[in-house]
Amino acid sequence: MKLKDFQDKFQRAILAGDDAVLKGIPDGPHETKENLLGIYRDAYVLRLIDVIAADHERLHTYLGDDSFRVMARAYIAANPSRHRNARWFAQRLPEFLRSHAPYAKQPILNELAALERALNDAFDGADAPVVSMADLAALPPEIWGGISFVPHPTATCFEVSTNVGAIWTALKAGNEPPPVHGSETSRHILVWRHEMTPLFREMGAEERMMWVEAGKGTRFADLCTMLAVYNDPGSAPARAAGFLKAWLDAGLLTRVVTERIGAQ
Amino acid sequence: MSDRKKGAASGKSARQENRAASRAANREAVKVGERPPYLGFGLGLRPPHYRDILDGNPNVDWFEVISENYMVAGGQPLAMLDQIVERYPVVMHGVSLSIASTAPFDEDYLDGLNKLAKRTQPKWISDHLCWTGVHGVNLHDLLPIPYTCEALDHVISRVDYVQERLGRRLCLENVSTYVQFDQSEMMEWEFIAELTRRTGCWLLFDVNNVYVSAFNHGYDARAFLNGIPADRVVQFHLAGHSDMETYVVDTHDHPVREEVWDLYTAALERFGPVSTMIERDDDIPPLADMLVELDHARALAERALGSKRPARPTAA
Repeated sequence: MKLKDFQDKFQRAILAGDDAVLKGIPDGPHETKENLLGIYRDAYVLRLIDVIAADHERLHTYLGDDSFRVMARAYIAANPSRHRNARWFAQRLPEFLRSHAPYAKQPILNELAALERALNDAFDGADAPVVSMADLAALPPEIWGGISFVPHPTATCFEVSTNVGAIWTALKAGNEPPPVHGSETSRHILVWRHEMTPLFREMGAEERMMWVEAGKGTRFADLCTMLAVYNDPGSAPARAAGFLKAWLDAGLLTRVVTERIGAQ
Repeated sequence: MSDRKKGAASGKSARQENRAASRAANREAVKVGERPPYLGFGLGLRPPHYRDILDGNPNVDWFEVISENYMVAGGQPLAMLDQIVERYPVVMHGVSLSIASTAPFDEDYLDGLNKLAKRTQPKWISDHLCWTGVHGVNLHDLLPIPYTCEALDHVISRVDYVQERLGRRLCLENVSTYVQFDQSEMMEWEFIAELTRRTGCWLLFDVNNVYVSAFNHGYDARAFLNGIPADRVVQFHLAGHSDMETYVVDTHDHPVREEVWDLYTAALERFGPVSTMIERDDDIPPLADMLVELDHARALAERALGSKRPARPTAA
């Protein structure tokens, strides 16, 4: 049998339970060939369950070990790895939980997986310098209207429908998580890395709007205008400044771009 | 063709040209292929040990880093790696090269190895003599090869290619195996010996894997040991395994067992002083426990080698 054909057969033995490759395998001195091939079959699944468990400790706790393993096996069967690095294997787990029964009926599961995924991605995401309040304060006030911002490369924002943040926090502390709450209004979670630590918080609708627009390169003056249209125009500049200060304090911005002076 | 497709196509051909140019430039370095230095006694670098290593100055001569763990964009893994590299010699050890696969190489992965090597300046780069998947799938396991002439020729051509891409001789580890194949035309050590002779690649001799495979297939581990060309072995792995009575599994989650220490002593007597490392991948104990095991390896080497053992590692 050619090497290529052998590898096809061996891989099918592991992924699809096809026993054809056994024809060319002798029994071992102490064990049958079926059980020896079974070592590879078992190891394939168990190893990937461990990979998922390492990436999703909170989901594991939330589901309990037995249910987690059932879920993990279903994910593994549906998603053979196409990555060199097992670090990326569970990348599609949130999507899987969103779209597959019975998990699709419980949005908290895919949202918990998504939050963990985002925190993992922030953990080893790209390094980048961080802009501080002092950096901004050094710019002449007259140009502030024209500045725009570049978010830190590890920052990501996504919509959720549950109190997943509170549940994650309780699980992390080893406490009983609160009951799942839905929301009539949309909620958003912002995840980023500050120095070496991945962090997250909820983002209100107005701040989220400003964050998304800022990420597109919208100038600060225009962000203030948008906030004025969104709500109370009188306090819009103060609200915008408050959001900006919070982003700077949290290390959420990596660059300030000025219209006349150039990038800081 | 759209402008975007044209851009992507020209980017791809530029990368291909760069890779081909690097290979041509690297041929001489591979041909010369100086033997890596003797590093002494090392450990696998594991995240739970980072702080104890950096704060404690433990009695470890070098570290082996898992390449894939540091092929990320940034954050703690690379920050820790940079600090380790400043203080210790390192070697890179990968699990994804899939040298024996009939699938094409992942060229981005090879680029990633080169990028990491620029950062870590490893004393050598190693991976496993195995395959990990075909048809774009990665089974994340070190899968066995039938030891045929066809497989040998195939692996030789792949090793030649990788050595040119990396600009250095590759170091390959013997894996633990649980099945054999009727079509094999030679023993594993004969396959490895011929591979190292024809490519000049180095060998990472995993003592535990030899023990595991020998038990599972019913041959004498010493035959394996004696069948390997002594001058190609540049590193030993020592690790623990799980004894399932009718088979043994290379689980790397136990201390090194007595039978493997005995085989290690025999390996020292056959190969002389070789950079030695203890691998622990699961149930990782405190660093202090690993250091006790490493000291045991030192003591056995002292006893086995006597005056032949280098006084200290020859590389900083």
